[in-house]
Amino acid sequence: MLSVDRRWLYLILFVNIVIFLLAPLRMPASISPPVQKFYDEIEKLQPGDLVMISSNWSASTLAENQPQLEAVITHLMRKQVRFTIISIEAQSRDISYRLAERVTKEKGYQYGEQWAHFGFVPNLAVAIKGMVTDLPNTIKQDVRGTAVAELPVVQGVKSLSEYKMIIDVTPTGSVPVWISYSPKNVKILYCPTSVMAAEAYTYLDSGQIKGMITGAKGAQEYEQLLGITGLGAPFANTISFSHLLIIAFILLGNFAMLMNRLQARREA
Amino acid sequence: MSYQHAQDNWFAAIIIGFIALAVLVNILRAQLGAQLYIRRIPGLDAIDEAIGRSTELGRPVTMIPGLTDFGVVAVQALTIFKYITKQIARFATPMRLLSGNPTVFAVAQEAIADAYNEAGRPDLYDPDNVRFLSDRQFAFASGVAGLIQRERVAANFMFGEFFAESLIFAETGNMVGAIQIAGTISFTQVPFFVAACDYTIIGDEFYATSAYLSREPVLLGSLVGQDIAKLLFALTTLGGVIAASIAGTDAPIIKLLGQPGGWEAFWKSVLQGGGQ
Amino acid sequence: MGVLTNLMAQQTIWRLPEESRVLFATLIVAGAFVLILGLIPVLQTLPPRGRRAIIVTVTFLAGLFFAAEFFLPVDWTAIFPKDDPKRNFLTPAIQPAQNVLQIIGALALGLGTFGLVRLHLRNTVQRRAQWGYSIVLLVSFVVMATFSILNTLAEKKIVERGPMLERGFSILFDYTLIQLDAAMFSLVAFYIFSAAYRAFRIRSVEASILMFTAMLVMIGVVPLGAQISPALPTIANWVLAQLNAPAQRAIEFGVGIGGLAMAIRLWLSLERGVT
Repeated sequence: MLSVDRRWLYLILFVNIVIFLLAPLRMPASISPPVQKFYDEIEKLQPGDLVMISSNWSASTLAENQPQLEAVITHLMRKQVRFTIISIEAQSRDISYRLAERVTKEKGYQYGEQWAHFGFVPNLAVAIKGMVTDLPNTIKQDVRGTAVAELPVVQGVKSLSEYKMIIDVTPTGSVPVWISYSPKNVKILYCPTSVMAAEAYTYLDSGQIKGMITGAKGAQEYEQLLGITGLGAPFANTISFSHLLIIAFILLGNFAMLMNRLQARREA
Repeated sequence: MSYQHAQDNWFAAIIIGFIALAVLVNILRAQLGAQLYIRRIPGLDAIDEAIGRSTELGRPVTMIPGLTDFGVVAVQALTIFKYITKQIARFATPMRLLSGNPTVFAVAQEAIADAYNEAGRPDLYDPDNVRFLSDRQFAFASGVAGLIQRERVAANFMFGEFFAESLIFAETGNMVGAIQIAGTISFTQVPFFVAACDYTIIGDEFYATSAYLSREPVLLGSLVGQDIAKLLFALTTLGGVIAASIAGTDAPIIKLLGQPGGWEAFWKSVLQGGGQ
Repeated sequence: MGVLTNLMAQQTIWRLPEESRVLFATLIVAGAFVLILGLIPVLQTLPPRGRRAIIVTVTFLAGLFFAAEFFLPVDWTAIFPKDDPKRNFLTPAIQPAQNVLQIIGALALGLGTFGLVRLHLRNTVQRRAQWGYSIVLLVSFVVMATFSILNTLAEKKIVERGPMLERGFSILFDYTLIQLDAAMFSLVAFYIFSAAYRAFRIRSVEASILMFTAMLVMIGVVPLGAQISPALPTIANWVLAQLNAPAQRAIEFGVGIGGLAMAIRLWLSLERGVT
């Protein structure tokens, strides 16, 4: 048991994931405080408020970040809030643009009037500092080549400080950069992958970020609060049973180790 | 308001100044001959053991600075790799340095060439052993994993900033039986390294590595200055806890500590004689 | 002198005047070339100590720029009446400086790519071990680069987006690159499983505490935990917020201070490691 070929473990995990991904079993989530805070902050927004979404994820973290971004955009549209999207990762520019186009088209949200995508910026800290002082001249044009100054959604907006909120959807832990350089009157919400969430609890605790959706499970909780069906639920359920499997094998491994020790003591 | 300039938060600027002063004063002390102590770090003591094992097995050593952008973390990683290369040069052990950032790759080429020169073995330097694989996270991860598997490396050193690919490197190294030493400032990757590597250097031990390996007075002095700064942070935290417990979190003295407008609020309260 | 006064009046010492922008830009680029070409022979003839003095000076001045921009007071309207009260005279230069850094980064990418292609070309020509993989890399590189460049040109309407370009780019990007990226990340799940199975053993008191806490958090953060017991999510959140966060704060303080100390050493050229 202790020297089991790891390929058997991989096969068992693979079968486990496939079964529970395909199974119709869906468990409700218990809403965690960070997700509740996230939801409450967006509920406080008024129609016409302006929100910046920083979407920096690529295909590798699609399972965690895509349900988050879809749910966030749905909530913002429900509140009739204007939003702009920016990416610091080249692949993310295309992925987030296409996703936003699909989700907004379904709800009749107009590009340019109610939302826009500012494209890819290579250096986040410099971009934030530039957006704080002069947003139209920092970004210059949106992903479709239109000058930012001509976009109705940000008509008259000169600075990032005129935004009400920044939502960072990312696997890269870029939220400290937003915290450091963005205007203090703009609230920050965070949507990391599960791995990166651990380091964000300090910012949540100090109030530097106002809410957090953690990975696919957080997306499931958020979807539940919104009353929508998304990808968060099936992914979170699969994760549940994978965790259970890992725990079972950890206990099994320890049991085998204990038996080995007892055997060795008896023989000695 | 945002923290674009020191004027937005003079208190933080003063703290930066104090840390800089602590570091520089202790560097001066070290240069003037003060004996400074540094505790043992087992992971760093194991570097020579790992290199020795590679030499015995005749299998290469890999050095991975991760996806670190060129900055203080990358410089520190390359300093460590330069030390390792000098040790490797003594035994003519094969090595591979695999970089995921082109700027780090360019500097690494020069650093490794210098290391071989300083060790007196410029003939051993092969530019093809310092490689840029890709700046895409998982393309880099698959390249590194593939190389570790194909060449069955005997020792794997990972120092720098890592993300999700850290476990791919560490577990692949574990599969081929390599002795692995990792050092990272990435808090979230530490558990993966601890689970899969033989030794892990955590947090500011990473920045202490160059001082530990070289024992240069300047670096040791800087380390002592860092520790003094950490002591200040600990005392500030303790003072803040006591003050907040007595005066409440809305008191001006608490707001002084880094909150937007805290400095102005504090001086206003002092000038007005204690009111908020 | 008139030009200087004009520039100061416009508050644009970091930006070229509109009417003679092309002329000034050409002069600056030409001047930079002359400086660099002149500097290289000078650096080569200098003794190592002289070279080090130049490097130390340039490093110090470059670092001083960013430090001075941060520490200098803002609101210079007393000196530049039309200036922005939220900046000092160095602030407008930050963006051009960062642009320079990005250009250097792009040049380094070219250097890295050249090194990669050269290595694999050599493998192929010399038929070194596993040269077949080198051919795969070179072919993939050329094909992907071609379609990506054509796609970008098509986005900017410089070339026409034909069906072959559309289909080819879609196959390479959507159906290959994105899926390979996702597949590589999904490997992490399997590796976590084998690493956890190997690492979480009751070898000592600390290891036992670690193992049980990890299991509590693992089951508490997923929906299944709430089904088993409502206390599990509460315990998991408590561990994350009250145990994990303080420990992480402590490590982050140390890392931040260490980074600052290292930056000071690099700025003052006290760090001799790589340089």
